[in-house]
Amino acid sequence: MEKQTSPYRWGMVVDLDRCTGCGACVVACQAENNVAICGKKEIAEGRNMHWLRIERFWVGEYPNVRARFLPVLCQHCRDAPCEPVCPVYASYHNPDGLNGQVYNRCVGTRYCGNNCPYAVRVFNFYSHQWPKPLDNQLSPDITVRPRGVMEKCTFCVQRIRRAKEDASGEGRLVRDGEVQPACAQTCPAEALVFGNLADPRSRVARLVRSPRRFRLLEHLGTHPSVYYLKGGGREHV
Amino acid sequence: MKRRTFLQLGGMTAAGAWLSGCRSANERLIPYLVSPDEGVTPGRAEYYASACRFCPAGCGILVRVSEGRAKKIEGNPAHPVNRGKLCARGQAILQELYHPDRVPQPLKRTGPRGSGKFTPISWGEGLSLLAGRLSALQRERSTERLALMTTQLRGTLAELADRFVAAFGSPHHIRFDLLAPDWLRAANRRSFGQASLPWYDIAETRYLLSFGADFLEYHLSPVHYGFAFGRMRQGRDTVRGHFTYVGGRMSLTAASADRWMPVRPGSEGALALGMARLILTESLYDAASMAASGLWPERLAAGLEAYDLPQVAQLTGLPQQVIAEVAREFATTPPSLAMAGEMVAFQDNGPEAVRAVQLLNVLAGNLNRPGGVFPGGSVAGPENSFADLLAFVERMRGDRIGVALIHGDPLHTIPPVTGFPEALARVPFVVSFSPLLDDTALQADLILPDHAALESWGDVIPPVAPRGTVIGLMQPVVTPLHDTRQFPEVLMATARELGGGMAAAFPQQSYLEMLKEAMKKEVHPAGGIDFETVWVDLLRQGGLFKTEGKGGKGYRWTAEAPVPAPAEPRFAGDDKRFPLHLQIYPSTAFYDGRGAPLPWLQQLPDPMTTVVWDSWVEINPATAAGLGIGFGDLVEVTSPRGSLHLPAVLYPGIRPDMVAIPMGQGHRGMGRYAEGRGVNPLALLALADNGTGPLPAWNATRVRVARISKEGNLVTAGNPEGSYRGELIEI
Ligand code: SF4
Ligand code: SF4
Repeated sequence: MEKQTSPYRWGMVVDLDRCTGCGACVVACQAENNVAICGKKEIAEGRNMHWLRIERFWVGEYPNVRARFLPVLCQHCRDAPCEPVCPVYASYHNPDGLNGQVYNRCVGTRYCGNNCPYAVRVFNFYSHQWPKPLDNQLSPDITVRPRGVMEKCTFCVQRIRRAKEDASGEGRLVRDGEVQPACAQTCPAEALVFGNLADPRSRVARLVRSPRRFRLLEHLGTHPSVYYLKGGGREHV
Repeated sequence: MKRRTFLQLGGMTAAGAWLSGCRSANERLIPYLVSPDEGVTPGRAEYYASACRFCPAGCGILVRVSEGRAKKIEGNPAHPVNRGKLCARGQAILQELYHPDRVPQPLKRTGPRGSGKFTPISWGEGLSLLAGRLSALQRERSTERLALMTTQLRGTLAELADRFVAAFGSPHHIRFDLLAPDWLRAANRRSFGQASLPWYDIAETRYLLSFGADFLEYHLSPVHYGFAFGRMRQGRDTVRGHFTYVGGRMSLTAASADRWMPVRPGSEGALALGMARLILTESLYDAASMAASGLWPERLAAGLEAYDLPQVAQLTGLPQQVIAEVAREFATTPPSLAMAGEMVAFQDNGPEAVRAVQLLNVLAGNLNRPGGVFPGGSVAGPENSFADLLAFVERMRGDRIGVALIHGDPLHTIPPVTGFPEALARVPFVVSFSPLLDDTALQADLILPDHAALESWGDVIPPVAPRGTVIGLMQPVVTPLHDTRQFPEVLMATARELGGGMAAAFPQQSYLEMLKEAMKKEVHPAGGIDFETVWVDLLRQGGLFKTEGKGGKGYRWTAEAPVPAPAEPRFAGDDKRFPLHLQIYPSTAFYDGRGAPLPWLQQLPDPMTTVVWDSWVEINPATAAGLGIGFGDLVEVTSPRGSLHLPAVLYPGIRPDMVAIPMGQGHRGMGRYAEGRGVNPLALLALADNGTGPLPAWNATRVRVARISKEGNLVTAGNPEGSYRGELIEI
């Protein structure tokens, strides 16, 4: 494992016992990150541009049936299968543990998307429109990705950057809870918790020690920075 | 792995040749390859506090504005209702502001009604057209021929609208919302002698029992209760609150339950009374609570004689042992909490069934205690606006309404079985204030477009807040995009145009002035502090949030309250020709339909079905198999009232004798994203008349379903097959 050179290792905890599947996080992410509006046709082709999706699983059959929700976003793997396959290093790892994507470097081979076991990378197969005056909503902090470019969840890196600037201006580290991605910020049930895994006292680090913890497709050895907490307690179906 | 490592090393050497002295292998790569982190351009944005009025919950919002444009909506952490959180809809109102198909200025109808042919006019012309019609009514001394129809407004807007019709000399201000909690106010009055809406302490409860109350989606205050739900589950060190849901369809809310009880539609009240009887006969009740409410256990048990376990199992279609288990758990896990919701209230025996659920809270001692239910604030409101609506329809039918001013989209949200559409067609002059050409605006003669919410002033009083005074303030966060005017301003301008008593009724120069006066009354600034300072503070923080004190009179079962007696449920349509129960429910994304024009919400996969950009009917897989219906097939759903064509979704979480359709789609207009998309299930609804007159029993219609073709054109974001295989991810 590489040496830790930054005081931050950003990570997230998704508490499945809290998540209600409401979808607020999906819209928050789309709004924050200039994620394209996709019509029916595009989604039918499996080309929805959402960076964050809620997987819904039916378990069992009527009347002993349950529905489960699983928010899936880029897992920011420490051993990310998407990174080494990019011929132009558009998919890279930053010292804070983020798996980044350099849009102006991406040449659209889509190797990274094919290699991602979580299917969280989305490709601009089309050039997307924001009919006027809808384009006013576009955030100036984020580039609008053109056709032919791969994109995905960044943990709202623009917010992280700003928080780091603020903190270093005051000669300190970013405080726990000071920065949150848009999804975690809006989640009504507080199912999403973001923070610095390198700080053992942070809320994420404490939650990660829960016995309910697991990671998606752990056996692949990708070492995701996103941890899930199992729904728990007495259960009747 | 070999190839990956190779590429990685290759990259590192290449970069390493250029750079030296960096701290890690990764960093050696990055600074060269990436200059600014993915095109981030730092620049400070400003935040404005405002409030969301998209559903009645009234959450507080913060709007990020940069260079005069609204960019992003976030929850206001200071607001006691939503504490910095927001639902999907609340974030999407940004797209209401920037919708490409907004009505940019007043329009006058030129073609026949419904043709969508309008010609743009100036505000001066629009206002004098309206004032001309109104002064004609005044001249004819028939001012009662004016009607104003709005949703259930509160605060200054309600006051202003009431004042407008009253000053004009008309008694007709109709405030009807399909989803308004009239039924809950009425039940509270009957049981507890007070009509205030409840506040449920979900966060602190240990056993939550919801009878058709979908509090995570739309019931009363979804963000408030979603927040509380997270705390109920994982907010306490040693307690994880348990959740049981009663209802024939597994809603999004029910999906989070530990136990789902798919009860036969219309038997929810019987189930509650069966549980009550068991709690009484096994002496599991809270004696102090019974005494405080003046209830005698023996007498009450005698009154519930008919609801013995075998009988209730028969009525509900649930196993006896499950009913008994839940009743015992509920009574012995204090504090517990029972809630009744729309899916119960919209049965024809709903009013009494809701009271049966309330009785459970009395038995278990959940009234006015932490983890239980409290009277929440003092928001008064209509208790039977459905009756007002029917009376209004009668008036219009009798040609006794000359001018109808309509704020909202009743043609989309009122079931046609009420006769509303035909009756409205008889009104000679209809004015709409819709910002988009919605179903109602398309039938209007004059459209005086309202501002978008983010361009408006206003006070937003949430129906659900723990206690105290909570008033959210809306302020414009951008300069208006178009030549529109805020609805209350238009009413005031019309009054001024009419002059005389009408003008005198509105001494204020603007709605803003009126709003400030109202807030001034609320805060009583202490001596020496001038109100302007207070006002700026209020705007900055998003409103007035006084959450201490003023705990109202607690709930107590009144002496006059009869024992709840839900009648045998009745349904429109006979069970031979129409073998399936129809449930309509508010869409998670669109609420009653107002969210449909916003593309973010159309694109948001429905949480339960993952369907995008469409309507669908949910059918139990076994029922579908019997009818030869496959996933995504086009089917015809027929009720005694009419039929609709839409795609089918095989839905494991619904009773085999039931189908369900979400509300919200099927708009005739409302802009490019909503127009002509999906169906409006309200068209299917018939009214069950139980002898006392029509009731708002929206879930008491029966239907039949037949397959038409494979061409349902249904699109889901998730793979309907793949998502069945949960074991892949081992959750
Ligand atoms: S906002 Fe929170 S509760 Fe809603 S789907 Fe996302 S993670 Fe789950
Ligand atoms: S719950 Fe209602 S008021 Fe709150 S954000 Fe959502 S739509 Fe707006």
